Amino acid sequence: MKELIPTRQGIALVALFTIGNSFIYGMAPHAGRDLWLSFLLAAVIALPLITIYARLHSLTYGQTLSEALTQLFGKWPSRAVALGYSLFAWRLACLVVGDLTSFVQTTSLTQTPQIVVAAGFIILALWIVKYGTEVLARWSSIMIVIVVGIILGTLVLMWSEVSFEAFLPIMYDGFKPVILGAFQVLDFPLLEPVIFFWVLDALPEKKSSYKVFLIGSLMATSFLMIIATVSLSVLGADKYVSYYFPIFMATARIDVANFLTRMELVVGVTIALSGFLKIAVCVLVASKALAHALGFKDYRFLVTPVALSIVPGSQWFVQTIMGIVESATKIASPSDVFMEVVVPLLLWITAEIRISKQGENKAGKPNSI
Amino acid sequence: MVGVIIFGFVLIGGIELYCWPQRPWKEVLAYLLLLGLAAALSVTIYLVPDLPVPEPLAFLAKLIMRLWQGGGK
Repeated sequence: MKELIPTRQGIALVALFTIGNSFIYGMAPHAGRDLWLSFLLAAVIALPLITIYARLHSLTYGQTLSEALTQLFGKWPSRAVALGYSLFAWRLACLVVGDLTSFVQTTSLTQTPQIVVAAGFIILALWIVKYGTEVLARWSSIMIVIVVGIILGTLVLMWSEVSFEAFLPIMYDGFKPVILGAFQVLDFPLLEPVIFFWVLDALPEKKSSYKVFLIGSLMATSFLMIIATVSLSVLGADKYVSYYFPIFMATARIDVANFLTRMELVVGVTIALSGFLKIAVCVLVASKALAHALGFKDYRFLVTPVALSIVPGSQWFVQTIMGIVESATKIASPSDVFMEVVVPLLLWITAEIRISKQGENKAGKPNSI
Repeated sequence: MVGVIIFGFVLIGGIELYCWPQRPWKEVLAYLLLLGLAAALSVTIYLVPDLPVPEPLAFLAKLIMRLWQGGGK
């Protein structure tokens, strides 16, 4: 069954997913005071790749990815690709749950076992995923207003603490740290929307995929860049790099007339909201792709075991707060590059070749595979 | 604790299967298999907290790092 998602909700879904849990960390720490350059460079590199994601989705318009993959590669190779994306989404969900539980334990619920917080997030994600993509998209279209509104409001309140001297001198350490920072931002989170192949079954128009992927990603990139630069300008480059959660520490400095303080709690709420959406999308993709890999048409019956396996998985991949921050701010891992760059490129090239061959065989040029 | 974990999974599986309107055997089999894997992972993580994480493409990361740092010289 195809689930129709309006373009506006699709944009909100991609933007909120990309923002996800990433803004709590010091993004592009390798670049230090030049992180804004890393973000710009990452956006420039990400743009063609995200356009390829959109193009691929547009080429397979009218079909679910399962149907399109089967037509492109045949039955068994398409199932192998689906299994790869299922594992990728599952691993991503485990990392996000691990991030959120560690964040909650470090900042507020220090005596609460991580597994309790993880189970809370997973039960909610399981619930919303069972209702399907349409509910998820509607939820994100409402929540993105709240998340972006709260964060931008908080950043405005921080304005008196901002010092633009923190960005000077520009590129003092050369271009290499900027490139490393850009790769880190690309890996986490700019290219993660690759899993949206499996989410966006049906969009209103063929061109909607371009709007959804490009506008959603650009919104999220701008938002993340603003958060990172404001945090750095408030804390200074050294503290920005050394703190586990720079945005949290930066907002803790807000003090409006001794009345409006402890704004970091509000940031905590927004992290929970956007992180929850990211977990839900990952559970959805892991279940949908696994259903295709196993040869089932419906995915909903797989949601419970997939979601429950994420709780132990979150305790497996990274166990300490240092390990989590290291994993979040690492420079691109090979498995991520493989699933975010190599596989989509292969899929896109194959789809283009198939379409051009169909165009040669038929009098009229077909619109999709 | 291992018993509690397994009991939890059995309880969830039992209740969910009971609630299904239809139970095609292929779907039931896949569901039970995956739930079993999830339970096995939970028990393993509980018993072996430092279980190594499989990294099938780790050799590529090492190779790129060596090339980046000057061919390992």
